[in-house]
Amino acid sequence: MSTLGEVNLSSYLPLMVVVLMAATFAAINIVGTLLIGPKRPGKTKGLTYESGMNPVGTARKRFNVRFYLIAMVFLVFDVEIVFLYPWAATYPNLAMSDPDRVIWFWRILFFLFTTVVAYVYGYRKGVFRFD
Amino acid sequence: MTISAQTFASVLVFALVVHVVLLTCAYLIYVERKMAAYIQDRIGPNRVGFDFGLPILGFLKGCLGLGQSLADGLKFLLKEDYAPDRADKRLFTLAPVAIIIPALIGFAIIPWGGTATIPSFSILGLVHVTGGEVVLAGLNANIGIVYLLSVASLGVYGVTIAGYASNNKYSFIGGMRATAQMVSYEIPLGLSLLAILLVYGTLMPEEIIAHQRQHGWMVFAQPIAAVLFFIAILAEANRAPFDVAEAEQELVGGYHTEYSSMRFALFFLAEYAHMITSSAMFALLFLGGWEPLPFVSVFGGGAVHLGGGVAEVLLAVAVVGLKLAVLFGKAVTLVAFMMLIRWTIPRLRYDQIMMGAWQSVIPLALTVVVVTAAMVQWGRTDTLSLILANGAVFALMMVVMPLMPKYDPNRKIPLYGSRFNPMPGERVVTGPTVALAREDHPVRGSL
Repeated sequence: MSTLGEVNLSSYLPLMVVVLMAATFAAINIVGTLLIGPKRPGKTKGLTYESGMNPVGTARKRFNVRFYLIAMVFLVFDVEIVFLYPWAATYPNLAMSDPDRVIWFWRILFFLFTTVVAYVYGYRKGVFRFD
Repeated sequence: MTISAQTFASVLVFALVVHVVLLTCAYLIYVERKMAAYIQDRIGPNRVGFDFGLPILGFLKGCLGLGQSLADGLKFLLKEDYAPDRADKRLFTLAPVAIIIPALIGFAIIPWGGTATIPSFSILGLVHVTGGEVVLAGLNANIGIVYLLSVASLGVYGVTIAGYASNNKYSFIGGMRATAQMVSYEIPLGLSLLAILLVYGTLMPEEIIAHQRQHGWMVFAQPIAAVLFFIAILAEANRAPFDVAEAEQELVGGYHTEYSSMRFALFFLAEYAHMITSSAMFALLFLGGWEPLPFVSVFGGGAVHLGGGVAEVLLAVAVVGLKLAVLFGKAVTLVAFMMLIRWTIPRLRYDQIMMGAWQSVIPLALTVVVVTAAMVQWGRTDTLSLILANGAVFALMMVVMPLMPKYDPNRKIPLYGSRFNPMPGERVVTGPTVALAREDHPVRGSL
């Protein structure tokens, strides 16, 4: 049976060590190359690379609103998926005779249905068209 | 000081596995170059051995070019770490760190060696380790598989920061593309994961392997979810055919155009570490984890006892090592398959990738989730019933697909100011726009 009921924060202690190890690895590499590598800055060398042409303007520009729309729709779906995980971990373990089983099946189907409505709305609005 | 057996085992396993993975990453680059070479009828790296130019080590010359990875690493370290003048220096340095940390901590959740019991002991009388049953993974927390999703989401930040900090148009467009693609394919990743977790009914990796030992590998029961998951991990790792973020012909290097030396190497390393992590995850979720054969249990379910006499401990370590080798072998095979895909299938166009995610992969994944939920509700979660359900979903897909609105992938798209296909109602002047040239070649129409 899954141990989802209990919360044991000390089991996350190794995660801290793991993150520290990964961060140290990255830091050692970057500092090492800074110390060992040569330093020969130059005016032309410091230019932004644009395939050898003189750079035109900056890259801090407005970009297509489509990326913003995708981020918004992503939020809707991702939050929905996060809500579904606890359900996926517990619902299959309910006994077949449990009355909660049918209730939760239909509730989650309704929850998914609301997302499908959002999806169809986005589809009709042309959010998912990339031409 | 007293620490629990699990903490001790986790740190030990992670410290071991992180080195194995980093070494494998270095040699995967060599393997990929060799594979590309053979596919393109070349030989590939075959010069660099381990002789370091010393005559006394002359017998180590060549070595099939196996010294290439070492030479590459040293060269990266010795190169100048340069940041363009107009880049945001702090973010520019932060980006490789932000991308390597999720790549390296991602495989903490994978149970490389199954479970083991270790006896109580103390190290030099300072640190006391309480004995008990442990999972030989970098992290044994009750969030289980959800950890994978959260870490996969973190990987997006490094790409976004790198694209923005470089202050380069190539980097910026590459970063935007990669971000949008990664968040889009995170949804099918989560949904296909949901479809199989509904069958497992647990989030713990060890219980997932136990379930597969009993009921057969999940790749047989949920083939559609397996394919979608594989597509999603390819897109998450920005691998071909989903590597538009670094499409050389359009964007030079994408978000790492401006990077050099070790910072560039970290991006490369992160990509390969990401591939290994997601392949190991695929092996864990669909291919039975450390069990080498489907439908047969080779190692059994019990915990290995790491204690007693020297011979017993050695035997136990051998079993754990075999389990690690099996899981790692499966992961590396999948990585080799990804490389084969890279050198076989041409890159997809960006609009095709995004439309593929939102208009086909996500609806299909949602359908699989709903059908699996219905099967669970019905109480039919054995392999045969799930295969039939998957067949039904596939048949439904085949029926619905011709009814979907068609797009001609090569149609002309109207653009403002285009000479070939202007926007409706727009009048575009064709011909030279420089005044001097116009005098020589008068153009019909007006400017």
